[in-house]
Amino acid sequence: MSETVTPTTVDDLRDAVLDRPGTIRVAGAGTAADWAGTPAPADSVLDLTGLSGIVTHNPGDMTVEVRAGTPFAQLQSELGEHHQRVAVDPARAAEGATLGGLFATADSGPRALQYGSLRDLVIGATIVLADGTVARSGGHVIKNVAGYDLTKVLHGAHGTLGVVAGLVLRLHPTPQATATVAVACDRGASADLARRIADSPAEAVAVQWHAGRLLAVVEGSESGAEARARRLAESVGGELLAPDDATAAWDAHAASVRHRGERAVLRFGVIPSALTGVLDGLDADTGGLDEVTTSPRTGVATVSVPADADVVAAAHRRIAEAGGTSTLRQRPAGAELPALGPAPAAATVLRAVAASLDPDQRLGRGRLAPWIPQPTGVSA
Amino acid sequence: MVDAAMVREFTDLLSENGVITDEVGLRSYECDGLTGFRQVPALVVLPRDAQEVAGAVRLCAKYGMPFVARGAGTGLSGGAMPVADGVVISLQKLRRILEIDVENRRAVLEPGVYNLEISKAAAPYGLYYAPDPSSQQVCTIGGNVAENSGGAHCLKYGFTTNHVLEMEVVLADGSVVTLGGPTGEQAGPDLRGLFIGSEGTLGVCTKVTVRLLQTPETVRTVLADFPSIEAAGDTVGDIVDAAIIPAAVEMMDSLAMEASEAATGAGLTVESPAALIIELDGPADEVEAEFEHLTAICERHGATRLHVPTEAEERQKVWKGRKAAFAAVGRISPDYIVQDGVVPRTRLAEVLTRIAEMGRDAGLRVANVFHAGDGNLHPLVLYSEAAGEHDVAEKLSTDIAELCVELGGSLSGEHGIGTDKACSMPAMFSEDDLGVMHRVRLAFDPDSRCNPGKLFPTPRLCGERPGKYQPHPLEEAGVIERL
Repeated sequence: MSETVTPTTVDDLRDAVLDRPGTIRVAGAGTAADWAGTPAPADSVLDLTGLSGIVTHNPGDMTVEVRAGTPFAQLQSELGEHHQRVAVDPARAAEGATLGGLFATADSGPRALQYGSLRDLVIGATIVLADGTVARSGGHVIKNVAGYDLTKVLHGAHGTLGVVAGLVLRLHPTPQATATVAVACDRGASADLARRIADSPAEAVAVQWHAGRLLAVVEGSESGAEARARRLAESVGGELLAPDDATAAWDAHAASVRHRGERAVLRFGVIPSALTGVLDGLDADTGGLDEVTTSPRTGVATVSVPADADVVAAAHRRIAEAGGTSTLRQRPAGAELPALGPAPAAATVLRAVAASLDPDQRLGRGRLAPWIPQPTGVSA
Repeated sequence: MVDAAMVREFTDLLSENGVITDEVGLRSYECDGLTGFRQVPALVVLPRDAQEVAGAVRLCAKYGMPFVARGAGTGLSGGAMPVADGVVISLQKLRRILEIDVENRRAVLEPGVYNLEISKAAAPYGLYYAPDPSSQQVCTIGGNVAENSGGAHCLKYGFTTNHVLEMEVVLADGSVVTLGGPTGEQAGPDLRGLFIGSEGTLGVCTKVTVRLLQTPETVRTVLADFPSIEAAGDTVGDIVDAAIIPAAVEMMDSLAMEASEAATGAGLTVESPAALIIELDGPADEVEAEFEHLTAICERHGATRLHVPTEAEERQKVWKGRKAAFAAVGRISPDYIVQDGVVPRTRLAEVLTRIAEMGRDAGLRVANVFHAGDGNLHPLVLYSEAAGEHDVAEKLSTDIAELCVELGGSLSGEHGIGTDKACSMPAMFSEDDLGVMHRVRLAFDPDSRCNPGKLFPTPRLCGERPGKYQPHPLEEAGVIERL
């Protein structure tokens, strides 16, 4: 049985790591507990939800320092009072996901097309290593090249390598207005249509295909956003959605990304021009994809496939053969499924970094297997 | 040390033309853009492709030689300065643009491609590469990756790290890995982001895939003169408060303008105490509305002149006035040091006042050119080597960088730490912070043969053990926390 500790300060967190022997699983709100590799049974669970709240928000500098366990939605709402935001929109945020959890799982939403993911917005971090070392990288200024950008290596680390205790983020102003254009089209036609949208002067910040429609988001001033969206709709034969319809369309999109059922969910990215072919191939391999959402301009897609180890492994392989990468983003209870595709050559570097930062593999054991293989002959 | 057998092996790999051993040839690689630090290398090699780079790195591994990868050598922090008894691996022959992929909006490049060449190659397709360091005509993409270069337009568009998708990297043992992938989103930890900005200490980049952006529909630029630095600074604050993110906001003081105007005739008002160059880009209607708002803010703060170039050529002239400022300072001073520090934007006025005081105390003039939107300062410390002012200037420059840290900022916004600021790192990072960075370095390069002596403070470089970490003033005030 693992024991749960809930530190409320970075000091507590460091002490918890130092005082407890054995393996540790880091947990946030638990919204991605079934993502990536199956965690090995851990001696302790480090619950970071007690490490919550904004440390300092400097509206004039458009930066904020936040404790890792802060619910992302709460952070956005507090920043919203200053007409600012963290410019990412992951579907999980609505379920209470923490900032640290979103960062550790490299989650992002449709606006990644324009703003990137949290890796692009994080300017500093406080991290705690398995040996109790507390280290800071980056800082409180947007522009900063002093020292290694250590923060980056914890993005997508799924609780391995180190514990993220807090992050400093760059902020963007909340746009005055947002408008969504919808164009009916099938998946095969979405690539060309998305390209026409990208080539237009509309500067869409998100373009996603879902449920037989391509959805494009335009942000801007009160008058400007709607006018631009209207012109975009005319030029591509779509319609400007009424606010309620737009909300419904994006809620349905998020629900699809967060599909929770008996199937496994995969998130993958390939070069955009290869996306349609890969999706068609996966359709054939798996007997039909479900809950498909795609970002035709970034080449990223989320799909569900049967929760069968061979099927999931074949899907990872197909994506890797197309030069892409994929991660398991939902493992139905009890299923043992491969979390990642074939290990790239760079996995040697990853293993060396892991051996250096967490030589006994105390943190997040199993989450990045087989890229970081579990120690053999050692039980947790 | 270099012996005949080793030179022969390099020559077998790279041909006679690819290996430099003569004193005169070696000497031309003794420094980068930070000319005060010099070191003649033992050997310079010029591979022609990625395979030869890997081969050269393997030979360095075989002979236990430290090495420094070098692009155009335009860096300003001594990052490409050779290591004593080490090899310089010049990437100047890897200059091919391998692909402009219009459909996927990306370019695949060899590391020696000049930054500006990327945008030139992409321009016929209505695309461009966003990061634009002032040295963009002469600096290479490989160097940009090593330094995580920024530029005037990174306030809105981000830095090199936000625009590189994938890299081919030769590690210290000569093995080749790919970091990153075909999309911004990748499985597993972001090793690409770790490598970018590591100043050549983790490996040699031999191929880079970057994102290209669509050329904005409209660009509007204003050159605004202000009666004081404070008025210009307040203008920038109000622009941010109005939720406008300009593509660029640059500030110059009168000394910088005097130098630049003499060199470029860009149309700067030399008598003006301060000027801002502000650029907006994006969809036409948004830009026009914001531009109107912007000029109103400038006027509210007493702008004495608003020059709005209408033609692209005229706009480029204004930008030339800004981008040529560093070199132009040579016209008003026999010698100068370019500093690069960052403060939170809201502390710009404070830092400029302190810099002026420090300059007065040191008896030296300081010209200021900087990226006002993100608080990235480039104070130019003017001095005369002949008059024996070098050491005073060097100290003033270092003190300015450390002042930036004291005000909650950073030692470097874009030029890097290199040789220049390694000894100041303990002012910004604790022993533990630096210790963790060093552990990562050893994971990539267990023998520390990639660009040793850079970035990390060493007793040899700094004369003594780096001082103990002093708590950050903001930490003492309880504004930020460490533990």
